[in-house]
Amino acid sequence: MKEISFKNDILPLGDQLFRLALRITRNRQEAEDVVQDTLIRLWEGRDQLNEIKNLGTYAMTICRNLSLDHIDRMEHRNISLDEKVHDRQNNDRSPDEQLMNIQRHEAVNDIISQLPEKQRTIIQLRDIEGKNYQEIAETMNLSLSDVKVTLFRARQAVKEKITKQNNH
Amino acid sequence: MDYKYIEQLLERYWQCETTLEEEQILRTFFSQEDVPSHLKQYAELFIYENEATDQCLSDDFKQRMVDVVCEDTEVEARIIPLASRISSFMKAAAVVAVTLTIGNVAERALQKNSVSEVPGAPVIADTYTRTEDITSTIHIIDRNQHDAMAQADSIRKLDAIVEEGL
Repeated sequence: MKEISFKNDILPLGDQLFRLALRITRNRQEAEDVVQDTLIRLWEGRDQLNEIKNLGTYAMTICRNLSLDHIDRMEHRNISLDEKVHDRQNNDRSPDEQLMNIQRHEAVNDIISQLPEKQRTIIQLRDIEGKNYQEIAETMNLSLSDVKVTLFRARQAVKEKITKQNNH
Repeated sequence: MDYKYIEQLLERYWQCETTLEEEQILRTFFSQEDVPSHLKQYAELFIYENEATDQCLSDDFKQRMVDVVCEDTEVEARIIPLASRISSFMKAAAVVAVTLTIGNVAERALQKNSVSEVPGAPVIADTYTRTEDITSTIHIIDRNQHDAMAQADSIRKLDAIVEEGL
């Protein structure tokens, strides 16, 4: 039985979990809290992790469920989580380029963030994290056909919004 | 330049018919500077998809997580069973018991020898006495070993009761 190491096996999942949590909660502080809870949960259950087929997918499932709990709690307390999320910018770029990138990223980020939770999570998993349909289905506890239908709707909505923005 | 292939890929992307590899081709294509004007409106989406993975947790956060987990591991109490705690003492006691037994037997054997050295004493009777001595020594060792095992057994039982209580 392989011994699970926090630094080598669990912590490297953090960035991917953070992006997923951020996509769902749309708030950096909340996303960090979710990732912290997820990583601690994984570490506390490390004795059972050897039985898990795909640790990444398992971690994503926990992270998504915790993120949904967070947004549920926030909605009950009528707290808006939405905030402008700036990507970490490459410091090699000039200030003008960085500003342009921020604006460009914000426009696309806004489009994706306005999608319903399932659709934006699927876009995150497929188009940003590069997960296959099977992994997405396992993470979101959906059938393969549901994943394809939801992704189709999400991409159509994104396409429509991009077209609309460019026509204005 | 003919962009038919890219246009077809793009159309299949919207229909969710592309593979992960084909989607990566689209991201690479839209990352370059010379994107034809009729496709430019979609460039931002693919550039965003390509660069969104740069978004990471801060190093501070990661270090904090490592500290939390290490602290948690360090304070974890280790339960040492009673049997292991006193096992070295038991070993020392066993060595002392065996040494004393052998010493006692040796002393008795020497006393017998000094008696049999009396001139005219029968040799056969002396041999018989020595055999008896060895037999009694074996009995004593056996009894001591039995006592030690009984003690170890009762300690193990006590240990199990203590662990159940914890």
